[in-house]
Amino acid sequence: MDAVTYPDDRVVGFIDENIIPFRVKYGAEPLTNDFNVKWTPTIITLDAEGIEHHRTVGFFAPEELIPSMLLGIAKVSFDTNRFDDALMNLDRLLKGYPESDSAPEAIYLRGVSLYKNTDDPKPLKKAYEKLRDKYPASEWTKRAYPYRLL
Amino acid sequence: MEDKIKWETEMAAALDKARTENKNILLDFFNPG
Repeated sequence: MDAVTYPDDRVVGFIDENIIPFRVKYGAEPLTNDFNVKWTPTIITLDAEGIEHHRTVGFFAPEELIPSMLLGIAKVSFDTNRFDDALMNLDRLLKGYPESDSAPEAIYLRGVSLYKNTDDPKPLKKAYEKLRDKYPASEWTKRAYPYRLL
Repeated sequence: MEDKIKWETEMAAALDKARTENKNILLDFFNPG
């Protein structure tokens, strides 16, 4: 991450504008134990109260880390019932990084966020159909499979 | 290599900054090797 991803100007710019970067050496306590970290890199999105909402383990290239950060930011909003904010960041992810590994989960979460906002189940079915068409092998397509019946 | 990212290194400082700037936190556990 230090050799490739963190020096990347796109990553530097995204972090500077969108999120507070906080670094802890693996093994430093109490945080390594508090967050049950067993391997590096482990990258966690926290809200401003220190609550975890998103976690990844392993290397991310710049073009994958930025959408993963957007997904983490969206998940903070989703988990705190701010669905409009979640949708804004999911749309940023899907518009800017549609081929990223974070995109299928973003499509799933977008459908759920729209449903939560409107009580209309149609976005769930649309999310499944988009996942089926674009990411047929994704685990998120499997998770959305029941929505085909809506 | 110069670190272009201005990392916070203390939890309290990261939380204070997150609240002040109304942002979330990217917490990176790393192994300096």
